[in-house]
Amino acid sequence: MITGLLLTMVIMAAQLPAGQGPVPVALSWPDYFGSRVFLPADNPLTEEGIQLGRRLFYEKALSVNRQMSCATCHQQAKAFTDGQRFSAGADGVLQPRNTMSLANLPWVRQLFWDGRAGSLEEQALTPLTAPHEMGQPLDVSAVGLRQIKGYPRLFRRAFGSDSITGERIVKALAQFERTLISANSRYDQYLQGKYRPSASESSGMALFYANTDTARGIRGAGCGHCHGGPKTYSDLFHNNGLDSLPPDGGRQQVTGQAYDKGRFRVATLRNIALTAPYMHDGRFPDLESVIDHYSEHIAHSETLSPFLQQPLRLTTQEKKDLLAFLQLLTDSTFITDPRFSNPFNHH
Amino acid sequence: MIKNCLITLLLITGMTAMAQQQPVVKVSGEVARPLALYPETLRQMKRATVSLKDRDGNDHAYTGVPVQVILEQAGVTTGKTLRGENLSKYLLVRCADGYEVLFSLAELDSSFTDRVVILADESGGQPLPAGKGPFRLVVPGEKKPARSSFQVTEMIIRFAKD
Repeated sequence: MITGLLLTMVIMAAQLPAGQGPVPVALSWPDYFGSRVFLPADNPLTEEGIQLGRRLFYEKALSVNRQMSCATCHQQAKAFTDGQRFSAGADGVLQPRNTMSLANLPWVRQLFWDGRAGSLEEQALTPLTAPHEMGQPLDVSAVGLRQIKGYPRLFRRAFGSDSITGERIVKALAQFERTLISANSRYDQYLQGKYRPSASESSGMALFYANTDTARGIRGAGCGHCHGGPKTYSDLFHNNGLDSLPPDGGRQQVTGQAYDKGRFRVATLRNIALTAPYMHDGRFPDLESVIDHYSEHIAHSETLSPFLQQPLRLTTQEKKDLLAFLQLLTDSTFITDPRFSNPFNHH
Repeated sequence: MIKNCLITLLLITGMTAMAQQQPVVKVSGEVARPLALYPETLRQMKRATVSLKDRDGNDHAYTGVPVQVILEQAGVTTGKTLRGENLSKYLLVRCADGYEVLFSLAELDSSFTDRVVILADESGGQPLPAGKGPFRLVVPGEKKPARSSFQVTEMIIRFAKD
């Protein structure tokens, strides 16, 4: 009887007319991405939460000088990067590491270059509050938002009450960020049988995924070892041979383990042609330099990735082919999608 | 000012503590007793030596602790208790670089298989080389050594629930 009653109530709740509660949103992605996504149960995606998160992403009142928002460093046109080697904070001080691009974040379990944040909610705390980033404590931001017309209503619609808290700010931001799915590049169109790659793009693709097998006469750059399958992302940390004595310990600063020295999170290659400069310290101005690095400039050290021990020594044509494949990963609809754009520009 | 100094001090202390971290394998999940296995812990446990054909195509002898011994110590369902719903349990092995491999518990249990999978900490009487150690899973008898994963940091036991 009680079960029946509860069930009826659940059904009634599900049938409430629109406007009575936040509307659940299910993300969608191509099958070849796989569903190894990390979506916290305590922050389900809703239309209202995502809409609020988008607004907060572009909200300059969240910074101590009212001049910066998340989008200052994460610009949609550059696949949510800013083209800088190191982004400047609200106080003008440069970040120690390059701004990471934002795409396909539900598949990322450990955020930042060193993986020190276990969720987007936790990650957002740092750029919002760190003195050399946006530099404003969350409770101060919450007080500020209460003074801005419209926000109490947006928070009520997203979370059920007018209460504006730091926790709700990061939850809404995380919801918006989870919707930033890039899956409409020419490479995706190829995977879906809608695009025929050029000869160079095809060769680059084969080179990207293959491992060199001298006995069988196969040339390969083995990029897929770390960059994975069609997502071109795996949740891994590797030392990719930038320095024999890494000045930045990277993952080691989180784990304290010697074997993690100089290890950094493997970056997604989605939209990689738009996110220069490259590496955690932005040392490479273009993709040609990145390919040259993997081909012939790997620096050896005790923690160098086992997959980078042998120099690739790519030919000039092979380098061109790899570059052609990497350019295939640019998703022009992602960087112009109005759902991800600045809502303040539409007023 | 004093607050800043304190924060700096805490950061320095924290970083020093980080720099002194001992390598460890943590065993968690569906266990009666979560474990933290340090190098000296493994040396005191029952040990075994197994042979693995590595990527170089040659056989190498590895020594360490059978995974079954570790699971027994953690109170995981092994042997006679590995039946019924417990057969839908798995072991997820996680490595320092984020690499993960999975086994059903039955794959690791001596009541199901003669194969002995070990958590190795030495080869040829020497500690494992920097890129592979300090702890490597060694899974004999597989066509490729992809599950013989390097730098193991966690062993997690769970029910498959789908």
